[in-house]
Amino acid sequence: MLKFVIARIGQAVLVLWAAFTLSFVLLQAMPGDAVLIKFLNPEYGLSPEQIAEIRADYAVDGSLFAQYAASLGNVLTGDFGYSVRAGVPVSAQLAVNLPATLTLASLGFATAVILAALLAFLSSFSAGSRLRDLIQSIPALFISIPVFWLGIMLIQIFSFRLKLVPVIHPGPWESLILPVLTLAVPISAPLAQILIRNLDEIETRSFVSVARAKGASRGRVLFRHVARNAVLPVLTIAGVLFGELLAGAVVTETVFGLSGIGSLTERAVSYQDLAVLQAVVIVSAAIFVAINLIVDLAYPFLDPRLKPRAGA
Amino acid sequence: MKSRVSLTSFTLAAVLAATAVSASGAHAAEPVKGGTLIYLEQQTHTNLYPPAGGFYPNGGILNQITDKLTYQNPKTLEVEPWIAESWQVNADATEYTFKLRSGVTFSDGSPLDAAAVARNFDVFGLGDKALKYPVSEVVNNYDRSEVVDPQTVKFYFKKPSPGFLQGTSVIGSGLVSLKTLTLPFETLGDATKIVGSGPFVVESETLGKELNLKAREDYAWGPAKLEHQGRAYIDGISYIVTGEDSVRIGALLAGQADLIRQIQAYDEPQVESQDFRIYAASTRGVNNSIVFRPDNPLVADVKVRKALSLATNTKEIVSTLFSANYPVATSILASSAIGYADETAKLGFDAEKAKALLDEAGYKPGADGIREKDGRKLVLTAYESLPQPQNRATLQLVAQQWGKVGVTLNVLAGDAGSRTVDDLDPLKTPVSPAMVGRADPDVLKSQYYPKNRDVLRQKGGPSDKVQSFVDPKLNGILETIATEPNREKRLKAAAEAQAYVLDQAYAIPIFEEPQVYASAPYVNGLAFEAVGRPSFYSVWLDK
Amino acid sequence: MTSFDILDRRSVPASAASAATPSTAARFRVWRGISPSLVLAWLVLATVLLWAMAPGLFTVYNPVEGVPGGQLKAPSAAHLLGTDSLGRDLFSRIVHGSVHSLTGALAAVGVGLLAGTTIGILAGSVGGWIDDLLMRLVDVLLSIPTLLLSLSIIILLGFGTFNSAIAVGATAIAGFSRLTRSEVVRVRRSDYVEAAFGSGGSFVKVLWRHILPNSLTSVFAFTALQFGWALLQISTLGFLGYGAPPPTPEWGLLIAEGRNYLATAWWLTAAPGLIVVIVVLSANRISQSFGRAGS
Repeated sequence: MLKFVIARIGQAVLVLWAAFTLSFVLLQAMPGDAVLIKFLNPEYGLSPEQIAEIRADYAVDGSLFAQYAASLGNVLTGDFGYSVRAGVPVSAQLAVNLPATLTLASLGFATAVILAALLAFLSSFSAGSRLRDLIQSIPALFISIPVFWLGIMLIQIFSFRLKLVPVIHPGPWESLILPVLTLAVPISAPLAQILIRNLDEIETRSFVSVARAKGASRGRVLFRHVARNAVLPVLTIAGVLFGELLAGAVVTETVFGLSGIGSLTERAVSYQDLAVLQAVVIVSAAIFVAINLIVDLAYPFLDPRLKPRAGA
Repeated sequence: MKSRVSLTSFTLAAVLAATAVSASGAHAAEPVKGGTLIYLEQQTHTNLYPPAGGFYPNGGILNQITDKLTYQNPKTLEVEPWIAESWQVNADATEYTFKLRSGVTFSDGSPLDAAAVARNFDVFGLGDKALKYPVSEVVNNYDRSEVVDPQTVKFYFKKPSPGFLQGTSVIGSGLVSLKTLTLPFETLGDATKIVGSGPFVVESETLGKELNLKAREDYAWGPAKLEHQGRAYIDGISYIVTGEDSVRIGALLAGQADLIRQIQAYDEPQVESQDFRIYAASTRGVNNSIVFRPDNPLVADVKVRKALSLATNTKEIVSTLFSANYPVATSILASSAIGYADETAKLGFDAEKAKALLDEAGYKPGADGIREKDGRKLVLTAYESLPQPQNRATLQLVAQQWGKVGVTLNVLAGDAGSRTVDDLDPLKTPVSPAMVGRADPDVLKSQYYPKNRDVLRQKGGPSDKVQSFVDPKLNGILETIATEPNREKRLKAAAEAQAYVLDQAYAIPIFEEPQVYASAPYVNGLAFEAVGRPSFYSVWLDK
Repeated sequence: MTSFDILDRRSVPASAASAATPSTAARFRVWRGISPSLVLAWLVLATVLLWAMAPGLFTVYNPVEGVPGGQLKAPSAAHLLGTDSLGRDLFSRIVHGSVHSLTGALAAVGVGLLAGTTIGILAGSVGGWIDDLLMRLVDVLLSIPTLLLSLSIIILLGFGTFNSAIAVGATAIAGFSRLTRSEVVRVRRSDYVEAAFGSGGSFVKVLWRHILPNSLTSVFAFTALQFGWALLQISTLGFLGYGAPPPTPEWGLLIAEGRNYLATAWWLTAAPGLIVVIVVLSANRISQSFGRAGS
């Protein structure tokens, strides 16, 4: 077991390093660079000589390997460098944006779980009726809606037409209602589908018949078993959904004008703010790797069957 | 006291400028103190080193937290006293002496005296290599400063610099404390580090999202001729970066914001119908135009450029996409700009003549309708410019118009990196949208001179991709504009430059670009500096 | 064996979920083959396919050239969905845009399918350190935020329908390879494959005759599902300004351009958005039916 744990941690570190390297190569290969983009802006009115000097100062023209080594070294010592575009340390940007995105993402995830559980219960209770088909098709609808479009529509309807939730200077909770909902809708779809399947499976198990024969109500049986049966799929899915949460956050933050890792990433990509992007990759890869590591390590304890049943 | 180069009596500019919207005089009521103005800005600020204030989000902040030596009256374009009580300029515009107002302090308590002003302009005029400060676009031929006494500062120039007096009034010449100028350039993106003497000070900042300013209680040195003196009426300003056009306009109309920047022409009727106010501040500079890069063989022939100019129906563009706040261009410069000359005769739409000219130039329609010469198709490319209003739609409409005479224009969106790199290469971007605002004829040089913005991409400019194109005649005229101390000769050179650029069809001016703002009905006293950046000093909220 | 093997299931929720335990009612309908929603889904896809192949049958307006003066018209009999800022008919732009959006999504799924299944089959059937290496590679792909990955690829390749398809396809590789690998591993461990190996079948032969045919059913269902997903991703890229250049009437771009006019002409955003929802929903519905048929 210990050997397994060490091997997994080793692999996790390797994945982190590879993600860093891959992103470095990708970003370096892009045309232009942040310094050029920022200072060639005619608003600064810089002469070619001045631009050359600034470039030398930022050392963007050094050899690729030297830049890679410097960048890796900085990251290892926890120094993420300066954002060329914003003119502030990357760590300062992360300090502002990371908590915002984590709040949005975790609330979005929690809302998605609640939404999914709700759908699963409704589906289970309406078994055999027309309503059930309708409920079961809701996840398919949820997963078919473009997130950005949903966000735009929600703002227009709830904030500007009905004037229910302000988007400018809202209270701390008001500001999150629409974005969290926007983020939760597509995330809840796969969760709901898994939960619906699990509940259906439970229905057919013998212990349910036994419990019901003993006089327990169907709702109670479902409720008692759903908790345990919901934890596993939610947990296992968390690692993969993290990526989708982050992608959703980019769009949600852009649409709602929220500050966060998502909007930071989008801006940094378009201005090729390398230091920022490297930091984003490292942070998100670390979170991804950590979640998967925890899931992997925790799985045997949570699921006595150890080897998961293949679905089909 | 006033020098001969001060730009006082240019009547045409003055008359036209007076028509531009500025402080609202509709309400005769006494200004009310208090309240916070919620201002929605389209983009985040980048760097608050004052010469970087040309970028609108930067300028919108710097204009509130810094003061300038002089004040250019947006109505008359006259340069008036502000931090400088008076000034003297020698005959050939190589020495400027400013007498400073006393008792002015920066918000950190340090005095705004001759030493501080000298250091500011040394940096703006010469840059600072160690701290990576670039040279300001508005300070030409700068040599050195001299602190005559604590309230008197003198500047020396290597060559005549007639635009300098106006240059001290622009956003890029905002004065900051000595301590601010000891910080490296790349750290000046942090607004809380910028210490000025202006009516507002930075209170807090959430990077990339929100910036809060509060009024400075002891502020007592506004522009001398301004009616309002003393502290600002409002208590503070909250800048919120809101990139989505629809969110800005929606939030304003839903009562969630007080003032927004960049409202598009199609939203204007809706705003006005609800009694909200629209401010279209003229930028008084080079018009929103399409420029050619003649280094590219496809547009090297003046006949081709002339034909494309004739094929462009600017009236149709303005009537389709814009509103009355966007006048059709009648020259390279806006009609409210200093040095404007009416060149209507050289402009106009005539598709038949365009076709004839293209035939003459040897470009004959191919099988697919696209003109070609020696097997080279007349297919041009341009990147859209994000800061310009509806530029993507404008370019698409231009492409549609050019298509009718057999010329293809591809409009690219592109990422900032590709755009920056390709834009330097005339072969990749033979056509480009361009505009710049500044209320001085120097703006022509800023736009066209190879050592400045170099929109035509001449050899000797920032681009190393240019093969051979250079126009010494144009550059000569531009140098005259920047160095000629005689006002009459300078304006004549400006007119000459406009005529020459259009004769060569280097540019197709489309419309006079305003900065359009919209505010709630209760926002009063909003003013704009000469090129359309807002000043919140006299704003008061009547709610 | 990691938990990832069942993670892949979540990406095939519709197919795998119902494939595992289809409700009795649903099973009946599939057997009888007259599910109205499925028929509707096929109808939608057929219509959109026709739009893509013969747009001229559905609209007479030019999708890229507008009529100056006729801009921002509300929906009417002449212009079913109104006109945009340049006076172009929106319905015509949606019809003509289908070819860009559909081929984009197809190409994206193609890239993901090809690269993903290759990796998955290799990892699943060879096993050992190659399996470990490939799967960690897939982890790397997953650990870089998808949008950052696709935006970077687009910037590298340049803007265009096909390039954004490649960028979206690259982010789909991980899902395909994980699913394929787990399927291959499952089939490989089954008795009849063990028996085939036991009776002296060569590796390639067994792979070709037994493993592949039995593992690819759910991969196909996944492919149909990914089609809808890719359509959404391409729209998202278009929305962020990284899609096909104007005036290409790609659907994401239509939504993106329309959103500026929300205050005055909401239909410019609502209509293309609804089209995307309906087409993706149909693709997912069809994927679901594949999943059932395969079980």
